Amino acid sequence: MSDETALLREPWLDFARQREAGKFGIWVFLASETLFFGALMLTYMVCRIEHPEAFVAAGRETNIWYGTINTAVLLTSSLTMAVAAQGAESYARLRRLVIACLTLTALLGLAFIVIKGFEYKEDMDKHLVPGAGFELPERAAQLFYGFYWLVTSVHAIHLSIGIALVGRLVWVLLRRELPVTENPEIEVTALYWHLVDIVWIFLYPLIYLPGRSS
Amino acid sequence: MSEPANSGPTVRRLWTRNLVIWAALMALLLVSLVGAYIPMGRITTASGIVIAIAKSMLVVLLFMELAFAKPLIRLAAIAGLVFLSAMFALTLSDILARP
Amino acid sequence: MTDALLAGELPLPPRPDYLHHGSSVWSWLSTTDHKRIAILYAVTITIFFFLGGAAITAVRLELFQPNGWLMTSDSYNKLFSFHGIIMVWFFLVPSIPNTFGNFLLPLMIGAPDVAFPRLNLFSWYLTIAAGAFTVYALVAGGVDTGWTFYTPYSSMFSNTHVFAAAAGVFVVGFASIATGVNFIATTHMLRAPGMTWFRLPLFVWAIYATSLIMVLATPVLAISLLLVIAERVFGLPIFDPARGGDPILFQHLFWFYSHPAVYIMVLPAMGVVSEIIPCFARRRIFGYDFMVYAMLAIAGIGFFVWGHHMFVSGQSPLASLVFSFLSFIIAVPSAIKVFNWTASLYRGQISFESPMLYALGFVGLFTTGGLSGLFLASIPVDVHVTDTYFVVAHFHYIMVGGSVSAFFAGMHFWWPKVTGRRYPESWAKFAAILMYAGFNMTFLPQFFAGYLGMPRRYHTYPAEFQIYNVMSSAGAAVLAVAYLLPLGYLTWSLFYGGKAARNPWGATGLEWTTSSPPPPKNFDWQPRVDRAPYDYHTEGMSAGTDPPEMQNARETQ
Repeated sequence: MSDETALLREPWLDFARQREAGKFGIWVFLASETLFFGALMLTYMVCRIEHPEAFVAAGRETNIWYGTINTAVLLTSSLTMAVAAQGAESYARLRRLVIACLTLTALLGLAFIVIKGFEYKEDMDKHLVPGAGFELPERAAQLFYGFYWLVTSVHAIHLSIGIALVGRLVWVLLRRELPVTENPEIEVTALYWHLVDIVWIFLYPLIYLPGRSS
Repeated sequence: MSEPANSGPTVRRLWTRNLVIWAALMALLLVSLVGAYIPMGRITTASGIVIAIAKSMLVVLLFMELAFAKPLIRLAAIAGLVFLSAMFALTLSDILARP
Repeated sequence: MTDALLAGELPLPPRPDYLHHGSSVWSWLSTTDHKRIAILYAVTITIFFFLGGAAITAVRLELFQPNGWLMTSDSYNKLFSFHGIIMVWFFLVPSIPNTFGNFLLPLMIGAPDVAFPRLNLFSWYLTIAAGAFTVYALVAGGVDTGWTFYTPYSSMFSNTHVFAAAAGVFVVGFASIATGVNFIATTHMLRAPGMTWFRLPLFVWAIYATSLIMVLATPVLAISLLLVIAERVFGLPIFDPARGGDPILFQHLFWFYSHPAVYIMVLPAMGVVSEIIPCFARRRIFGYDFMVYAMLAIAGIGFFVWGHHMFVSGQSPLASLVFSFLSFIIAVPSAIKVFNWTASLYRGQISFESPMLYALGFVGLFTTGGLSGLFLASIPVDVHVTDTYFVVAHFHYIMVGGSVSAFFAGMHFWWPKVTGRRYPESWAKFAAILMYAGFNMTFLPQFFAGYLGMPRRYHTYPAEFQIYNVMSSAGAAVLAVAYLLPLGYLTWSLFYGGKAARNPWGATGLEWTTSSPPPPKNFDWQPRVDRAPYDYHTEGMSAGTDPPEMQNARETQ
């Protein structure tokens, strides 16, 4: 049984067409995710336009080291994911490389979650949770942190789904249930992973950089 | 299963290409971090976002290979951005023009 | 095109059609066959239709009298909210796309299934889960925010089950997105040889345009509801004015989806009508290319007009101006379609079978509703009639007079194909006419009541409006009968109806070339397309000059 036949599924008669459709389908889904996170960005923008000083004061209280390190972690995970995806597309059988890079990607994702966990703990210790006993005097600073907790949680959920998908891929490939070369699932998972990275790339300047220069 | 002998150059090529892109991303991250501490008013804010756009362009075009993709794929990618821009523009026409 | 064999042709070996290919419950619940998934959806949305209908029956009973004789205002608020939520998200949005779209899209393009069959089944399960949340919200005591969930009432002050209802809508939104992705990929990637884009039936274009809207607009609805849930359940300030939040922001996010959503609800209906009118006028559709451009224009421009729901919200005059202007513009492509449907009838050989009655009803009622929309697009008029029954009448003319009529039109048109049975045509004609009469009796008085100032969403009203409300409630009773009748005779036809031929209406389209009901993989041979759609007569000739295959295909009743 050739690799291609193992991956062919209904209703497709031609594997190349199936791959193309999978790639197209995930990009259409990514367009929907653009609007999903874009709506959150719009929320931030509207609130910041309406309360510029409060947002600057609130942004200053975020931990820039956790934020910057986490951004570096995710960017590196995009590197390993890109190598894995490109390795899978190559005809030189790069099975070990692909599996190793996928594993690294998942581990980097987990590292992000762990660092985020420490950051959340620190934020709670610093009373940066909106409600009674909130740290900062500006009312709208609570708005910033309302947004912060929500958007980082939503991002973390998306990242966790990504880690689960990558983990599943590693498992399935190690057990040789599916071939590596030209596996459409690797390509689709990679594209999703990069989107989660891009979301964080935009969240970084919105959350961690305001208020540093004053 | 060991890799066949001719996969060496491929592996090297893969890593070189992607590490260069990664280095550029890291450099941009550093620039945005440093830039945030320079008081330039509105430009400080804008610089963070512009650099974020640059980083995501690198990821989208090179890691996600949109630069080499078929026109249909590129259309799907752009469609999201087009309607997102409309959402921003028309909402801002309310927020910025409130009496 | 008849079932008779050509000379030398061998009969196919007997094989089960898709309905009988596996008859266990599990074979239905684990199916990836788009036709079975369509049936699963059809049963689901029918249940929701009658749930939403039951809610509004109670509302219309209450409105018989002006003084709130039947229930408290709290109960009333919960009933109209439930009606709106169920009808919009659990009936209208999935109805035509997930039943007819699922069944017909692969058939019409000559494909064996949709691009991602397992995702298709997952969409249905998401819909069921979402429905469970929403019905739970009702059973646990209801939600009273209206289907629009406006803040800060929904996020801070309502004491009802906002979370359960919003969660239900959030989940069904993802079913919608998954369906949209599936249909877009299917249309691009699985067309049969020769089926170029401009040979596609208009129903396929309609489903495609609808899918574009589903994919791009629904995520923003998800965010708007997520923000309400975050504020309500986790206390995170987003729309709280005391902490700097902007409640109008919710309206921007909500309507960014909910306006295109109305095009999700109407474009598939337009697609259905575009299939039926040519068939029963025996004419090609007039202006096929412009019909396509008009649908794409409606889908596109539909994203830029949402602020016309917010003229009195506190939005800036500049934004209101822009939205008003664009709302006038979007009437143009819809008008083009109405002109083209009408022109398709010219020199036609028109027959008034029940699908055609429903389709013609659509054209008239949609036009009325659409014209009333122009009044609403004008800011000075809207300031007076917003939140009155004028608006209620406007959208019911389009949603019920339009989309529901088209749903019934499609139901009758494709019933023989889907079930392999014939329904009793005279009952169907009677129900169609009764529906048209009942509909107008229900909703025409509401235009007057609204124009004269009766507000919506109140269970009491000044006595001067009672005459309109009594007419409306009486009409609703007639409408209810008209909706129940098809439930009766269509179910009857499943057991006692005659067997349907392959192409009982003599219609064009690949779905009519395969058996009724179709085999599991849709076609027994690879379809190839070499002609334009709606090939009812030679170009330049008037109707009634059907090619022989078409004439022979029509089943003699």
